[in-house]
Parts: sequence; structure tokens; C-alpha cells
Amino acid sequence: MVKRISILFCFLLLLPVFAHAEDISGCIVCHNVMAGKIDFNGKVIDLNVDAKRFETSVHGAFACTECHERFHENPHVPPDSQVTPEVERLSEEVALKAKADPVALAACSKCHNEEYRDVIDSVHGKNIVEEGKSDGALCLDCHGSAHYITKSTDKDSPVNKWKVVDTCGRCHGKEELAKKYGIEANVMKSYFESFHGKKHILGHKRAPTCVNCHGYHAIKSKDDPTSPVFGTNKIKTCGKCHKGANKKFVAAITHKEPGPIPHYAEKGLIILTISVIAFTVLHVLLEAYSDLRDVLFRRRKEVEHEEGKEYSG
Amino acid sequence: MKKEKNTQVNEESQEIERFNIIFRIQHVIMFTTFLLLAFTGWGLKYAELKDVSSWWIRIWGGPKTAGIIHRTAGITMLLDFAFHVIYVGYLLFTGRMKIRKETTVIPLPKDVVDVVHNFLYFIGIAKTKPKFGRFSYAQKFDYWAVFWGMFVIGISGLCLAFPVQASIFFPEWTTAWIWQLIAVMHSDEALLAIVFILFWHFYNEHLKPEVFPMSWVWLTGRISLKEMKQKHPLEYELMIKEKSE
Repeated sequence: MVKRISILFCFLLLLPVFAHAEDISGCIVCHNVMAGKIDFNGKVIDLNVDAKRFETSVHGAFACTECHERFHENPHVPPDSQVTPEVERLSEEVALKAKADPVALAACSKCHNEEYRDVIDSVHGKNIVEEGKSDGALCLDCHGSAHYITKSTDKDSPVNKWKVVDTCGRCHGKEELAKKYGIEANVMKSYFESFHGKKHILGHKRAPTCVNCHGYHAIKSKDDPTSPVFGTNKIKTCGKCHKGANKKFVAAITHKEPGPIPHYAEKGLIILTISVIAFTVLHVLLEAYSDLRDVLFRRRKEVEHEEGKEYSG
Repeated sequence: MKKEKNTQVNEESQEIERFNIIFRIQHVIMFTTFLLLAFTGWGLKYAELKDVSSWWIRIWGGPKTAGIIHRTAGITMLLDFAFHVIYVGYLLFTGRMKIRKETTVIPLPKDVVDVVHNFLYFIGIAKTKPKFGRFSYAQKFDYWAVFWGMFVIGISGLCLAFPVQASIFFPEWTTAWIWQLIAVMHSDEALLAIVFILFWHFYNEHLKPEVFPMSWVWLTGRISLKEMKQKHPLEYELMIKEKSE
């Protein structure tokens, strides 16, 4: 009897392992081979999960139900399982950002609680939770599908150093968005025209991207006194790289359109450049013509000139 | 400007020194740093051509190394320029170089006349070329272009290389636009300098039929009396006059 109980006990110990394994394989059996997309409450969603990519992602060892808490019964019964209360509450706040499963979107907070709070308090999060608008990035907008998230240093991660600018630009490069919220419209253009942006394009590892100045999860509006780019906060922010940065120095970096002085100075320099080049090219071409003419047809004149004839003009 | 020299001027095949070794070294440093600056700066100016520019910058050791090359070459060029100004000042002060209208590099009204005259010669109206002194207007233009470049590109370049230190010198009311102005100055004038050198200097000192593939004065510093009579007749005449006195 004791022996029997101990065997049973050992089996019980192993039970969570079996349950876990069965959980993934159980879901993935179908959800790995689903072609096409479906219409779900007016949103087009993809029910397929690439099992290979999921397994190599940072969350590859998780059971589906770690995040999709409502779907505890397998296979499908109406999803009504008990959800962690905090996740439940958060899922209601972020529901309008979720395509199909708000609980799964809120479940990130179970492990990434601090980051999630930062995002909810950020200008992105406040626009969603307080203003009730779907503009404003939540986890997946920047990190991509939760099924395939890789480390932020991975070369395919949309938030790595070389991709994060384009990731921000997916929204901040849009004129409509800038108009809607009254924010600077040429942030992408001015960044890529700046020395920071140019160095970044060329692959300079220390060239700052959006996040180095503006922050990331806790990103704030530039008009928010807690923003790293608000007023004199810039002294500290710029000072991270530019030791000794002062109030006059930090005014250098801005996304604002250049004022009239650099604008007209540039126009003036362009006119100067074009006139000098025009004069130079005209002079060189005419001189080349006369040199060729002299070499080919006027040997005699050269001799005359050498003898020191007076010049006439 | 002319350095006084005790030279025998009997034979046409004879050569005299046009630029001494110190000037020649200044010129070598100037064009070496100029090329380095142009090559490394080009990639940054046109960074938006992502593939070409990052390939080009990789040739120069990547963005960080290219930046170090650019700054080092820039400072070397500025030092070279400063040395030149001091050296010419020294020559003038000690009387080893005198300012004469036939030999000076300073632009004179005659240069404007020469430009018109030369254009008339190009198109076949004037029958002879203008008679130049030690420096033709083309050479004067070349020379002073460097001063303009040093002033505009050099100063803006120093500001860009040391932005925190430079910002101390700017008054408060300029900070909103001064950096954009500096960046524009540096980049646009650099383009002008490169295009100017490419057309003007390359034609006059490399492609011209009588100098092709290049004028060797930069290396030997010497010019034959025949060439001097042809290209710098006023300087030649002055030299003969002084000899006979």
C-alpha cells in the first residue's frame, strides 16, 4: 500500500510537466496548420502560430494558457475560465488595443509588471486608458506578436538599435498622426538629416536613436515636465553622451523646422555655390576650347607670344 | 609674392625655384588632408544613400574610424594653414618677401582686366593671352579660395567637432538656429570646395595640354625660364630688370 501511494505520489509530482507539455502540443496541433485569417468582431485576425518561431522566441517555453488565461479548457469550450484579478482589470483598460484576446494582452503584466505600469503611465498608455483612443503603442505595437518576441538585442527584433527608429516611424512618420495630436511632423526627416541620424544610418554604434533621448516604456510628451527632453531635463539627457552639456548647448538638438536664418543662409550659400561653379565650369570649358584650338591650329601664335609681343584686350 | 633669389638667368633651359621646400610641404599636407576630409565627409553628407554610403564609410574603417580620420585631418589642415599664415608673415616681416604688383598674390584691378581679356582670347576676339605676373588671376582665385574655405569650413568644423565647448561662445539668442547654420555652412561649402578643386584646379594643373598629366612644380618646386617667360612674363621681366641693375 505504501509502495502504491509513493508511486502515485511520484506520478503526481510529474503531473504539471505532463499537463504543460500536453497544453502546448494540444493547442498547437491545430493552431500550427491554420491557413488564412478570420473576421473577429470586425478585426481580421490570424489564428495560426508558427510553432518553430514560437519555440525559439523568449516565451517559447510557456504554455499557451499562461497568457490566454480564459482558454483553460481544451479543446474549445466557451472561454470563461477564471482569470487573475489584476489581469482581468487591466484587460478591460487595454481592451480596445487587443485584436482578439484582451486577457492575453494584459497578461504581459504578470511578469513585466513594472514595464507595463510605465507604459500605462506613458503618453502612449494614457492615450489608450484615459482618452480611450487606439492610437498609442502598447507592448505588441513595438515588440511585435507576443508569439515571436526575441531579445531586444536580436537582429530581428523590431526594437533593436538598428530597427527601433523605423518602428517608432511607423506611427511618428505619419503626417495624419502629427496633425491629430499637434506633434512635430518632421521628426523622422529631421532625425535622419541630423548628425545623430546620419551616423546611425552609417552604423555608428554610439549614435543615439529615438529611445536614447526620449525614453521607451515610460515615454512622455515633450511638454510633460517629467520627460527627459523637457526644458532643462535635456541638460542631463544630452549630458549622458556630451559631457559638460549646458543650457545653451542642449538647444542644438531639436526636431523643429529650422528658423528663417539658417534657411536663407542656406539659400545664399546655394546661390554662391552655383555661381562659383557656373563661372568655374564656363571658364574651364572655354579655356579648354581655346587650348585645343591653339594646340591644333595656332602653333605660330604661341611662338609670337613667346617673343613677347604686346598684348591687347 | 616673390622670394628674392640669386639666380643666373642666361639660359632658357635653366630652372629657377618657384616654391621652396617649406611651401611644398605645406601644399602636400594641404592636399592630403583635403582628400581625406573630402572622402570621409562625403559618406556622412550623403548618409541617406544608405547602401552606398555605409559601404563607402566601411572602406574608411567604419563610422567611428572615419570620424577620427576626419577630425584629425581637419585639425592638421587648420594647423597647416595657421603655419602658412605665420610663415608668410615672417617672410614679409624680415623682408625676404616683398609685395610687388608683378609678384603679389593679392588681387589687383589688373586681375579683373585679365579675366575679361582672357575670355576675349578664349572666344577668339583678342589675339594674345593676357600677360600674367607671378600669379595669374586663376592662381590667385585658387589661393584665396583656401582662405575662404578655412574661414567658413574650418571654423564651422571646429564647432561641430567640439559642440559643448563651442556653445559657450554663442550668445543665448542664437542657440535656436546657430547649429543648423553651422551644419549647413560646413556641408555646403565643403561641396563647393570639392567641386571647385575638381574643375578649376584639376583643369589648370593637370588636364591643360601643356601640363598634362600634371604640373611638376608641386614636387620639384622648379620652373624653367622658358615656362616662366610664357606663363608669368611680368615676373620674368621684373627679374631680368633687377638682374641688369
